[in-house]
This record gives sequence, structure tokens and C-alpha cells, in this order.
Amino acid sequence: MPYLELKNTTKHFGKLAALDDIDLQIEKGETLGIVGPNGSGKTTLINLISGYYRPTRGEIFFQGKKISGLRPDQIAKLGIIRTFQSNVLYEGATVVESMLISSYQQYKTSHWQSFFETKAWKDENEKVVGKVIDLVKLLDLLNDTFLPAEGLSHGYQRMLGIGMAMISNPGLLLLDEPTTGMNHEEAKFVVDKIKKISEQGVTVILIEHNMKVLLDVATRVVVLSFGNKIADGKPEEVMNKQEVIEAYLGTETL
Amino acid sequence: MKAYIDYKNVVPKTVIGLMIFLIVLVPVMTSNMATLSMIILSGVWAIAVMGFTLVLRTGQFSMGQAAFMAIGGYTSAVLTFKLSMPFWPSFFLAGIVSGVVALLIGSVVLRVGGTYFSIITLALCEIVRIVAQEWEPVTDGARGLMTSPPPTIALPGFEINFAASPVPYYYFMLVLVAVTSLVFRQIGRSRMGGTFFGIAANPTLAEHQGIRLMKYRVIAFTVAGVFTGFAGSFYAHFLSVISPVMLGLWQSIQIMMMSIVGGVGSLVAGPLIGALLLYAFGIYVSRLPVFNIQYLLFGTVVVLVVIILPKGTGLVDLWDRFWRKVVWREKEFEFEEVEE
Repeated sequence: MPYLELKNTTKHFGKLAALDDIDLQIEKGETLGIVGPNGSGKTTLINLISGYYRPTRGEIFFQGKKISGLRPDQIAKLGIIRTFQSNVLYEGATVVESMLISSYQQYKTSHWQSFFETKAWKDENEKVVGKVIDLVKLLDLLNDTFLPAEGLSHGYQRMLGIGMAMISNPGLLLLDEPTTGMNHEEAKFVVDKIKKISEQGVTVILIEHNMKVLLDVATRVVVLSFGNKIADGKPEEVMNKQEVIEAYLGTETL
Repeated sequence: MKAYIDYKNVVPKTVIGLMIFLIVLVPVMTSNMATLSMIILSGVWAIAVMGFTLVLRTGQFSMGQAAFMAIGGYTSAVLTFKLSMPFWPSFFLAGIVSGVVALLIGSVVLRVGGTYFSIITLALCEIVRIVAQEWEPVTDGARGLMTSPPPTIALPGFEINFAASPVPYYYFMLVLVAVTSLVFRQIGRSRMGGTFFGIAANPTLAEHQGIRLMKYRVIAFTVAGVFTGFAGSFYAHFLSVISPVMLGLWQSIQIMMMSIVGGVGSLVAGPLIGALLLYAFGIYVSRLPVFNIQYLLFGTVVVLVVIILPKGTGLVDLWDRFWRKVVWREKEFEFEEVEE
């Protein structure tokens, strides 16, 4: 049974088919890259998996259970966490505050225990804060811990976005263009972290435009164009296929 | 170098003790009953403002707090006056009924949230007013209902007689405000408070991190409803009457303005400051001979506060700065009793 499966998944916006009859299987532990020109439906695909959109037709299964139609928070509770291309931050919160809000799923104690500040709550809070600090260190954000998140540079904001996704202990991580706006060093840094995450057993789906990053990190690549899947296979093979090159560059006009 | 005393622990205790001492003795210091009544009523409004601010914490603008005061007030008035229930159970039920109404309405309306929610809470004020006016058999219509003071409490040595003077009401209000403040402060500092903030700051992001938006919006709205209902019940019994025109749209707007003036970011101190100052201001302004100038002046005050003080802070920012400068000493003075 595949870890995540999309069957005949279609998403229409009015008459426009953002995604058209997509079939996709993802095995546990894979790092799947999703590529395609702008408008091909990549973010729509992530929006469908994360529950932000409901498929117009078709179904999505996670570990055999149907998840299409569930609310985003229900899907997040199953361990499927995504990052955002824009709209990444909590306005007005510092880095550590953002991380603490994002660690919502880590807390097993009830709100009553937090309200009365019981010992159990305090102990758990210590543990969670410890995890947050570890993650902040890992992502090189330690210097900015108490600074407002909006003050960070774009690249670091995305690192924070990844951090906020990581703190929920995802089983399936959906990264929407994680290296956009980053220079070569920062992108390498992110690739390194993604590899580490993958080593820990997390299944990763990432949308990427940066070919270097993609070829470095993905075990498999799926290419979308105008809402259709036009290729699916090993990165090097796929990126050299005629249809893929045409989708990106257009056909020769001679 | 003299031994450094940790001022954060030493000074506030004595100062807080002093403040509590002064607050408890307010009735002794104000011989003027009108002033005391004004303070009592600002306490009532402060609770309603705290409710408004709690809902605002989750990113929703409730223009219906006055409606919940009316629901609370009418509930306890009907129970005591028409059904001859004793005061304390009626008071308790007023808060519960108000909370239940908030729960029911919130569960439906908070799904859309945002502007639609605000408009519907606004409509709620009018609906409550109309129901109070037309439902003659229960609410006696436009005439309003009479309410009686809480019963005299006999303690060893003396008795607390609510009918005799406002003073017992002052202590009753003090207890109410203290309990509400404590509850709201704890909510703000707890994990739930952080979750509220997240929902307001970026609902989509929060949702994708496992936070169920409706659950928390409804919780905030219901808690606000309960405490505002208690405030409304107190209001009705203190003024000995409740009628449909007393708590309407203008009162909801005043509550919102009190929150802004006090500071929307603050759950406890802001509402207290905003309610006290704006209510006192309102009483003063209502005595001016110019017709309806109060609306103009209220608006002016709000605009001035918003312009002059940094974003979202309101007057509570001034209080914070004062407190830090005057009470929390940073230099090497020895412990010094601070007289404000």
C-alpha cells in the first residue's frame, strides 16, 4: 500500500482545470520532486493534499485512509505538514513565539493544565521549549530567537517556515519552493537539512524550480504541465525527456 | 558595592500591598456616592471590555457585547422579579444563559468570521433590544423590569446591606473584576492564549499546524459571553431597573472604544484603564450643554489615542512605562518605599 496515493484527482476552478485526472503514488521514505512551469498545478497539488482545497473529482489516500475532504487541521494532525510559498509567518510574533505556536501538536497536556500551571504542564513545556531551541539552533536562527519574525531576511523567513513545519514531527513533509529567493549557500544549507530530515524517515514532497537542488535531493521526480502529469521517474531520466524540455522551453518554431 | 537587591521581587510586593490597601479603602476615601457609583459602573464596563478584548485576541471583532450584558441583565431580572428566584442563583444563571447564547450563535456565525461576524453581532444588539421590547409577557416591554438589590448578608458582628448604600456593591464589583481579571490573565498567558494569537495572526498557517479554528473562536466568544452576562446582571441590579434602551448599539461601540483607548493588546489592564477613563469622561461630557456633543468628543478621544500612542498599545502603555520607571528601580538605591 503506498504511503500517499492520489486517484483521478482533479481540481477545477470554474472551467479551468488546475489539475486534471492525476494519479500518483508515493512510497514511505521517498523524496519526491514536483516540477513544472508556472501555472502547471504544483501548488494546487499541495493545497489538495493538505486539505486546503477539496478535489473536484477523485480521491486522496494517506496510509490507506481517505483524506480528501478533511479539514486542514485534521490532515495536519495525521502528520502531513506543509510550508507555504508566501504567507509564511505569524504577524507580530518573534521567532521563538512563532515556533511555540507551531508546536501545538507537541503538547499532550490539556489547556486546563496550562491554565492552572500544573507541574505536568510546566514539565512538558520545558521539553517542548527544549525541542524548539534545538530546532532553532539546527536551522541557524539562534541569533534571531527573540526578534520579530518579520525582520528576518527572506531566506531566513523560509528557514523559519521549514522550522515551523518540522516542530510538529511530520511523517509527510510538503515543501513548497523552499529555496526560492535564496543564494547558492543558503540553498545548499536547505538541501543539507532536507537530506537530514529524510534520513530520519520523513517522506518529503518538494516543489522546486532550482534544478541543482532538485537533482541533489530528489529520489524521484514528477513533472506537471497545465494540470497534467507528463513524466514520472528518476530525476536524470525525466529532465532529459523531450516532453519535459518542451514544456519548459516550448517547441522549436522552425 | 552594596549588595544588590533583586528589585523585581522586593519592591512590587510592598507596592502591590499598598495598592490593594488603597483599592479596598476607596469607599472610605470617597464620601461622594456619585463618584463611588461611577467607579462601580466602570468596573462593570471593564468586564464587558475584557470580553470584547478576548474575542479580539482570536481575530474577531464582536460588536455584540452590550447584547450579552442585556441578556445577562434580563435573565436575572426576569428570574428574580417574575419568578421570584433568590438573587444568587439568578445571578449565576444570568452568566450561564449569556454563555449558552454566545455558544449557540458563535458555533454558527464564527464559521464565516471576519466582517460578517461583526455585522451579525451588531445585529444581535438590535435583535436583543427588539425582543426585550416586544416580548411583553416576559420582559414587560418598553417599561422595563424592576430589579431588587441582592439580599442582605448577615455576618457575625455586622451585616452587608445592599439596599442601604453603594458601598457593598463596590466590594461585590471588586470581587467580580478580580475574578474576571485573574481568569482572563491566565488565559492570556497560557497555551490557549498563544493559540488565540496564532489564529488571529495567520489563520491559514495555524490551521495547517493542527489548530482547529472554530474550536478556539467559539471558546473565546463563549467565555466572553459568560463574564459579560455576569456584568450585565450586576448592572441591572445595581441600577434597580433594566429596559430595552439601556444596552444597545451605542454601548457596544463604547465598549469597543474603551478597549482601543485602554489598549487592544492588553487583556486586563487595558480594559480597566480604558473603561475607567472613558466612563468618567463620558459622565463629565454628558453634563455639557451642547446637544449630542458626546459622540463627537468620544470619537475625538479615540482618534487622538490611536494617533499619539504606538500601534495597538493604548493608554496601558503609559501605565507600563510609569510602573517600570517609578516602581521597578534599576539603580543601586536601597530598597525604597515608593509613594505614587
